[in-house]
Order: sequence, then structure tokens, then C-alpha cells
Amino acid sequence: MAAPGRRCPGCGSAELLEDALYAQQQLVCAACGCVLAEGLLTTTYSEEEHRREVAYSQSTGQKEQLSRCLQRGIRRVQDLCKVLQLPTVFEETAVSYFQRAMQHPAFHLVSLEKKELLGGCCVFVTCRQHNWPLTMGTICSLLYAKQELFAGVFLSLQKELGLSVPALSLADLVKTHLNSFRLFQHSADIPAPFVEDKEKMVARTLQIVELAGETWLVTGRHPIPIVTAAAFLAWQSLQPGTRLACPLARFCRVAGVDLPPPAHLRLKELLEILLRMASQLAWLRVFKLDKKTVVKHIGDLLQHRIFLLKNAFCVEEEEEQHAVALGEGSPGSPRAVAQEKGCPVGIKHRQEGGTRPLLPPCLIQPRKRLRMAAPSAVDSAVSGDEPISDSEIEQYLRGPEEIRAFSKAKAW
Amino acid sequence: MDGASPLERYLERCGGQFKDDLSTSLQLFTPMSPYDLDLPIQATEDVVFSSQFNQPKELPTDFSSVDLSFLPDIAQDNKEQNLSKDGNETQKELDGSIPRNEDSSGIMDESSLSYPDATRPSPEASGMCPLTPMTPMTPATSASESSGIVPQLQNIVSTVNLACKLDLKNIALHARNAEYNPKRFAAVIMRIREPRTTALIFSSGKMVCTGAKSEEQSRLAARKYARVVQKLGFPAKFLDFKIQNMVGSCDVRFPIWLEGLVLTHQQFSSYEPELFPGLIYRMVKPRIVLLIFVSGKVVLTGAKERSEIYEAFENIYPILKGFKKAS
Repeated sequence: MAAPGRRCPGCGSAELLEDALYAQQQLVCAACGCVLAEGLLTTTYSEEEHRREVAYSQSTGQKEQLSRCLQRGIRRVQDLCKVLQLPTVFEETAVSYFQRAMQHPAFHLVSLEKKELLGGCCVFVTCRQHNWPLTMGTICSLLYAKQELFAGVFLSLQKELGLSVPALSLADLVKTHLNSFRLFQHSADIPAPFVEDKEKMVARTLQIVELAGETWLVTGRHPIPIVTAAAFLAWQSLQPGTRLACPLARFCRVAGVDLPPPAHLRLKELLEILLRMASQLAWLRVFKLDKKTVVKHIGDLLQHRIFLLKNAFCVEEEEEQHAVALGEGSPGSPRAVAQEKGCPVGIKHRQEGGTRPLLPPCLIQPRKRLRMAAPSAVDSAVSGDEPISDSEIEQYLRGPEEIRAFSKAKAW
Repeated sequence: MDGASPLERYLERCGGQFKDDLSTSLQLFTPMSPYDLDLPIQATEDVVFSSQFNQPKELPTDFSSVDLSFLPDIAQDNKEQNLSKDGNETQKELDGSIPRNEDSSGIMDESSLSYPDATRPSPEASGMCPLTPMTPMTPATSASESSGIVPQLQNIVSTVNLACKLDLKNIALHARNAEYNPKRFAAVIMRIREPRTTALIFSSGKMVCTGAKSEEQSRLAARKYARVVQKLGFPAKFLDFKIQNMVGSCDVRFPIWLEGLVLTHQQFSSYEPELFPGLIYRMVKPRIVLLIFVSGKVVLTGAKERSEIYEAFENIYPILKGFKKAS
């Protein structure tokens, strides 16, 4: 706490509180809210115990084994944990990682900016080890850090300290991310038909995310856009009548959540998967479903998803022959279009355009031209010790007039 | 234990052919080498990985060459007296080594439970072989056929010492294929067309040559750069040519379930989809870094020799096949 006798300059009250706002210490008056000081305060020995800075004339040298930089860093880690409302055991673990990292020779001479990020990385690693769903985006925004810099520090921390960081649990991430959606309570700026029950939405979003995981939409991709797209589909499908007309951008605005740019693509991919599954459901075949109307039937599709996935997507090897035949038959037409236009034929035999192998989207639509194996005949002829002709080297040298012209132009 | 515990049933199936060799038993409990087992167990590692995600597979019943001597009790009664003493000793070893060895905790728990009652180990309900822990320390080389895929070399980085001080401004003025921007980088960037490479030439006389597709091409290119510098009037030599890094890539032609790979090979893998779509696998032997992508493309880097790339790929291919996740 602040030194006794300090009063708020605004209202004169003696009730001063330490508060950690955005992981920075602030001394705030409890009565009027006036901020007395930011950052560390220099006070007496009792403060020194709690790792705050102390004026030299009053310092007792008790905590001299900790350098100022380390003290500051530890304080920052503790404040981060308080802001994120993490349990105390996380704080201790994060501080111990931070101390270990700062003593490691690899991080001694790292810039102060990176040392700050190091504190954030330690908190992040601790959360991941305890399966607390925290994304890098959250930590970066708390630290005002660039994600590339954070990524570099995180990877080197993981390597130098040999920490094992388990994978982010998608189910926990869904629950935490949905907590930040403001659709679960009635409020003035949310239209009544948009409000949704949290339990139902979480359950359905989890199912859609699981479906995405099974159909290769999650591997290698950033998790948050997938969760956003899944939440949108879940929300729409719970009351399709009123919500079908609402686009993704508006949904995110109403929910008070950022719309990550890849979410549109994820939504498209999810809808394509759902359409394929719908083509296998007997009572849906009569409807000519498109991307809008399939949303109404998401409940049914999710209920039978295991069966539908097995039927809608065939095993790879057989599909290759189909692909060859299809490729010759209709060059250039994407399979999704064929699927939506064509009526599904019998139940037993698979239509050529109806099924495709269950592969990640990068394999279904390769954007790069697949390069053939480089011709090695030319390469193998090189021995490395061949004679080098003078003419070949001369071509790389400038003639005298050229040099004159160049030096005149560049004024070297 | 009372009744037939799963442990007993398993050993009954195996027929109780245990060697009585205590010296090898201690090997099993050293934390860093849980793999000093005979080949049959090692070969089943791959089986174990794929079986984790499918139904529990039938365990091979022929364990005649397997060393199960860490278990103190066997079918015959006459050996029990001999082993009871040894059993106590090894039990102490076991208890001591349990906290050290979290990776093979599966084995340890089973064995420690069985000791007081002199029962035998058995596979757990999940079908995982108790003798093969879940997380390997080194990737197991498959005794089966090779993959048939050869990684293509994409880039070779080499260095050479020209052993003379160079005037970079002079070089940039007299050479057509050179660029020099001292404010941006303190070296001349020179390029030649055949072999298509780039070189960084420093004023100390050291040179880095990148972009070649084979070791011989890299050497030829470096010699050409040295000749250019020679023709510009500097007494350039060609000392200490060394290949520093080789990068190769290939395609296994099936999608890979990266989440599963990072679960089982946690010590070697780093998979952060928020940062990078691929999984970074740091192989210990040979010391190669592999970037594994969901599409099945693999990039191998960090090699000093071509054989290291091939060996690394042969090591990773059976592991990747285990994560093929055919649907």
C-alpha cells in the first residue's frame, strides 16, 4: 500500500489503492478515482520487500540480489496474472520461469522490449501447461506487442528452457471465446431475436468445431476464426427464421467481437462440408439446398454426423480414379458447383460429382502449380571442379566506357 | 491380487517364457533409455501409435525373445524363492525410478501395483502395450521397406574464404552483376546465371554462396565468384570451402494429422497454429529440423551432408504414416 500520510491531491482522501491496469501499476484514489502515479513508486523498506523500487538513500540492500530489471519484470508478470485473473499457482510458476529465463545466457543481452515480452511469454506458457485457454492474441494486446516479435521470443524461450508446451485445447478455447460474446443477455443495442441461450450455443458451437476438426479444417489454421465462424453458424441455426438474413460482419458487431479476416473463408468451407453431408441425408435430398438454406438443418446434420461423414466422403485411393474421370469430363468446374447444381441420384451408389476424398482444403484446391520433380540430368553432370571459361566471367565485368558512364551518373 | 488380474491373464497368454537376466532388467528403469529392448518391441512402437487412435490391436503373442526379467515372479514356483529376494531389490529400484521416469509411467504403475502380490503385467484396457511407453525418446526406424520417396535438394548454403581484403565499392563499380548498399547491408550481393546462385561478398574476403541445388553446383558457383573477384584485380584464393546448410523438400502424398503428431512426439515437435501452419520437428539423430505440413509436404533443413536429409526423411516417414488418419 502507499506510504501512510499520502493524500489524494484531488479530494484529500487517504484511501489510496494499488491497482494493476493493463498490467501496469497505478496508485489510485478510491474516493474520486484520481490516478496519483503510474509505474513503480519509490518508497520505503516495506515497499522494497514487495519488489518495488526504493530511493537509494532509503534502500536497505535486502533485495540486492535481484537486479532492478528483474524486479520490474517480475512485477510485470504478477500484474499480468492479476489482470487475467489467473490462480496464484500460475503466478508463482510464471515468475519462476521468468527468473530462469533471465538468468539464461541467451536472454541476458536481449533488448528491454523483448524482456517485457519474455514476461508475457512465461505467463502464456504457464497457462498452456495448465490447459488454461489463452491465445497469443490476448497476450500481445495486453503487452502492446507485435505478434512476430512475440512469436520469436516464445519460440526461443521454448527452445532455451526446454519447456514442453501442450497444444491449445480447442474445446476450452470455444468456451472462453464465447464468454466474450454479448449475445446472452438482453440489452438495449441487441435486437430481441438475436439474444441466445448460452448453454445451447456453446454446445452447438462445440459440435461444429469438432466437425471442422474431423474434416481437416482446423489443422494448420488459426483457431479463433474457426470458432467465430462456428459460433455464427450455431447461432443462426438455433433460430434460422429471424437470423438467416444477418451476415457474419453484423453478427460480430452485435456480439461485440472482432471479426478476424479468415472467418469468411472458414465459414465457406464449413458450409461446403455441411452441404455435402446434407446430400446424404434422405429427407433432405428433395430440397435443393444452398448455402443459406442448409443452415436450417444443421441440427439434424450434427446429430447424424458420423454416418453422414462416412458416406459423403470416400476414401482417397478410389477417388483418384473418379477425379481422373471427372477431370476429363468437366474441366475447370469446381466440384462444389457440381454438387449444388446436380440432383443427388440413388442412395447406394456414389455419384461421381457427389463425393470427394476427405482432404484438407489445401489439397483439394492447390493454389500453386504442382512443380514436377526437377530434372536431375543437368545437375548430376556438374562435378564442381570444371574449368571456368574466361568469356563466361568477362560477361559479368563492366567495360571501361561503361564504368566511366556509371561513375559519372552515380558520382562515386 | 485376488482373482485373475489383467496382468496375470496377459502373462498367461505369453506363456511365461521369461529370461532370468537381472543385468538387463535394470536397463529398463533408467529414465533416458527405455528403449533398450529387443527388436520385436521396437517394431511394435509404430503399431502402438496407430492403434492409439483406432481399435486396440491384437498384440503379438510371440514374446519369446522379449526380456521381461524386471518382473520378479514367473509361472514356476521353484524360481520364486530365488527371485523373491531379487524382486525386493528391483522393487526398490522401481520405486526409486518411478518419479524420475514420467514417460513410461504406464509400465511403472502396472509393475509397482503387481509387486506386492507377485502378479504379472498385462496390457491396459486401452490396448496399449505396457512395454512400450507412449512418448518415444527417439523416432523408431522401421525395419520394413523404405518409403520410396527421395527428398529433392532445394538450396545449399556454403562459405569460402577468398583470403584477401576487398574493396567493395570498387567491386560494385566494376562488376555488372553486383549490388552494394552499405546503408542496408555491409556486403556486395553478386549473382551469376549459371548455376543460378547469389553470393554475399564481405570486405574481409569471406563469401557466402546460396541458391545452388547440389553440392557440386555450389562449389562451381563459388569458384566462379572467386574468378570474378580475381579478374577485378584482387589476389583472391579459394580456401576452406564448406557447405553450411542444405535444404530439401518432398511430399508424402497423404494429409497428416498434426495435432496427433504433437501429442505423441511432444519433446521433438512444436506446433503452434497461431504462429505457423506447419509443425516444427527437431530430430535428434540426425540433427535436422523438419517442417511438416497438413498437406503432406515436408521441408528438411539444417543438414551438412546429403545423407543426413535422406536419413531424416527415412526416420520420419514411418511416423508420418502412423498419422495418416484415413477416413
